[in-house]
Amino acid sequence: MQSFPRWTAALGLVLASAAPCATPTAPAPLPPPLPAERLTVEKLPAPGPHWVYVFDDAFDNETDMRVHLFDGDSFRRLGQIDAGYYSSFNLSPDGATTVVATTYFARGSRGTRTDLVEFTDNHTLAVSGEIVLPPKRAQTLPTPFNLAYSSDARLLYVSYVTPAASFGVLDPAKKTVLGEIDTAGCVLVIPSGPNRVSSICESGRLLTVTLDAQGKEVSRSMSEPFFDADRDPVFVQGVPTAVGFAFLSFLGDVHEIDFRGAQPQVSAPWSLVSAAERGVWRPGAQQVGAIHMHLGRLYVPMHKGGEGTHKDGGTEIWVFDMASHRRLARWPMKAKGISLVTVVQVTQDPAPVLFAATASADVAVIDALTGQIRHVERKLGQTPWMMLTP
Amino acid sequence: MRSLDQLVEQSARSLAHRTSRRSLLAHLGRLLTGAAVLPLLPIDRGSRAHANEAHPGPDSAESCDYWKYCAIDGFLCACCGGTSTSCPPGTIPSPISWVGTCHNARDGRDYMVSYNDCCGKSTCGTCDCTRAQGEKPMYRPSRNNDLNWCMANNADSNYHCTVSVILGVAEK
Repeated sequence: MQSFPRWTAALGLVLASAAPCATPTAPAPLPPPLPAERLTVEKLPAPGPHWVYVFDDAFDNETDMRVHLFDGDSFRRLGQIDAGYYSSFNLSPDGATTVVATTYFARGSRGTRTDLVEFTDNHTLAVSGEIVLPPKRAQTLPTPFNLAYSSDARLLYVSYVTPAASFGVLDPAKKTVLGEIDTAGCVLVIPSGPNRVSSICESGRLLTVTLDAQGKEVSRSMSEPFFDADRDPVFVQGVPTAVGFAFLSFLGDVHEIDFRGAQPQVSAPWSLVSAAERGVWRPGAQQVGAIHMHLGRLYVPMHKGGEGTHKDGGTEIWVFDMASHRRLARWPMKAKGISLVTVVQVTQDPAPVLFAATASADVAVIDALTGQIRHVERKLGQTPWMMLTP
Repeated sequence: MRSLDQLVEQSARSLAHRTSRRSLLAHLGRLLTGAAVLPLLPIDRGSRAHANEAHPGPDSAESCDYWKYCAIDGFLCACCGGTSTSCPPGTIPSPISWVGTCHNARDGRDYMVSYNDCCGKSTCGTCDCTRAQGEKPMYRPSRNNDLNWCMANNADSNYHCTVSVILGVAEK
């Protein structure tokens, strides 16, 4: 260290002697100094028509899941909602609130387990409240039916699996737990109307429980079976339709269920695939369909594969007309540099955007009318496994 | 490819046909009797890239292609300080599990395999492996690999990795 000054002096001499001889010129005047800056917190802009909430399961570190708010017009991330461990999420019917059902451990990754529902104000992305639950919450992959509001937003339902199955009924206004309803082995909470909850049973039936204003059970009924769990199971990620939900089967049947009445009405299924395609092409992955209700278009990620590939993402997105059941288009994704599509969601406006999340954690922003890819947001989280649009 | 796919599907259907649920349960029951060792019932987590992270040969417990892993979904404990049948040090096995029926090409037999999660530490994050042969949605929990099977461990319900334990030869 003592030789440093002499060494640098020598180097300076060498550099100076190597410099070209030039007439010294007056240094250019410096621009005025930058003004002092003020630290602020960004405010969310008014909601845009192509906002999407992207649930990141953060599979490599599951105690740190989160929801990203992304704008499909500016292609910018607008903010984040933290989601804790093995969580579920949904939006209130008016889109003003995000609810997350999650688990925290007292010592980070260990210690006393606390299950709760957290409410986030979507105008500020600040947590606005919580309800502590019994430690029974279903810790499973995200579906629209892990946690769901009644149609009038006066009740909130949360699926429990311990592994005994039941669900909790919550009052989101008073932030209280109203009660628990046993579901006799049937799972998840499919909301309909202001006071009905249906659960999917292994027998292929739907259990529907009707509640009173205090969230207590008034009656229950069982539907006829609409699928066979051995022969052709349905994905539990139901797709909202104008009158209820559609459930896709592993082999590509579409079971549309009308949830407007006291009992769910099941329509005869129709198929996404021709006889020649059946068992060859199939839907798959995490969020297996999205419907634009006004246009009546269904978007499904499809892949070629056999039994056991129902978690594989789609190499193509197929577009169907819900009225005629006709396939309108096949949009190959791989050819456009998009890896396997695992999640699809579509906005409901007249100029809709189709969002397609991939196995590489990219999210493609696609013109839902033409299939043209407008943008690919690389690495929107680790494992984006569900997307919701308000 | 089409004919291969159909062949695979036919085989799978045939296997499913031969292995009824009742016989599965009866077999499981027999296995359970006197076998305090194994937690019995049926967790995953979803569709990451498949069979993609672990590269050793298909006979290695650190390979996602290993035959016992036909319905696994999670991180392979063999890459996390454990083995295909043992949890890594300091973790706690889940008392409940899901099961799969996997074919061992070496002896031509189908085996019932219990997939138990090892719990109480954060996600291992190495050797992510998702396979779904015979896997069913959560309305059939004993065959579902989406649920967190550490769920019943209360304070230690944090998921770390998954092992696969042979329960016995699957009844034809």
